Amino acid sequence: MSAAAFPHAYPFRFVDTVSQGATSGGERTAPPGFQGRVRIRVTANARAAMGEGWQSPLLYPEAIAQAALLLEGADAEAGRGGYLAGIQELSIERAPRAGETLEISVRLHGRFGAMHRFDGEVHAGEELLARGSVLVRQGESAPQEAQEGTS
Amino acid sequence: MSSREQLAPRVKELIVRRLKLEIDPTTIDDAAPLFGEGLGLDSIDALELVLGLEQEFQIKVEDEEVGVKAFASVNALCDFIEQKKTA
Repeated sequence: MSAAAFPHAYPFRFVDTVSQGATSGGERTAPPGFQGRVRIRVTANARAAMGEGWQSPLLYPEAIAQAALLLEGADAEAGRGGYLAGIQELSIERAPRAGETLEISVRLHGRFGAMHRFDGEVHAGEELLARGSVLVRQGESAPQEAQEGTS
Repeated sequence: MSSREQLAPRVKELIVRRLKLEIDPTTIDDAAPLFGEGLGLDSIDALELVLGLEQEFQIKVEDEEVGVKAFASVNALCDFIEQKKTA
């Protein structure tokens, strides 16, 4: 899989490896229940580049959303064409630590049009770090109102 | 009481519960649009409604085109559910 398929750029590009599941390039055919798994290496460099941002619990749903978008449509354009639109029922046990390898598992809960809901879990080894659902929207770009509402 | 008279309150209660709206379900107008005007729902709410319909009524909303028509109003949603249940 091309590195160009990953959304965002370093250091905000989290996913390092797809370890299970991915639809073929650009297809939107994954049925509800589709599951996938990716790995993220928490490096000291990325942590340094993002500063205290690595301690933000919001990085977990972003990581789940990146994993979900990547697994749903692994082509370069589609990978860049989606965004995190919402967070539901998120629980976090602790922040990641440099040196850990995070395993993000995602399951497609349902979709309607461009909007998708994925359930995700973040593990470090056997330890559950976070669990929750994210809403991701696939498309060329965020609607104008969404762009104006984020900085 | 007709099946429609029983179904409409269920649909309204589903909308309020799934979308966590802070309104009385009985105040929702059967004919008022759910999206844009009316309740002012958006695409995120539409997905939540789709998931709610699947869970509560065991019916599928095949695609966005079907959903847009079904979500036009409570009346349209009741029509859609009844049509699915009798198909």
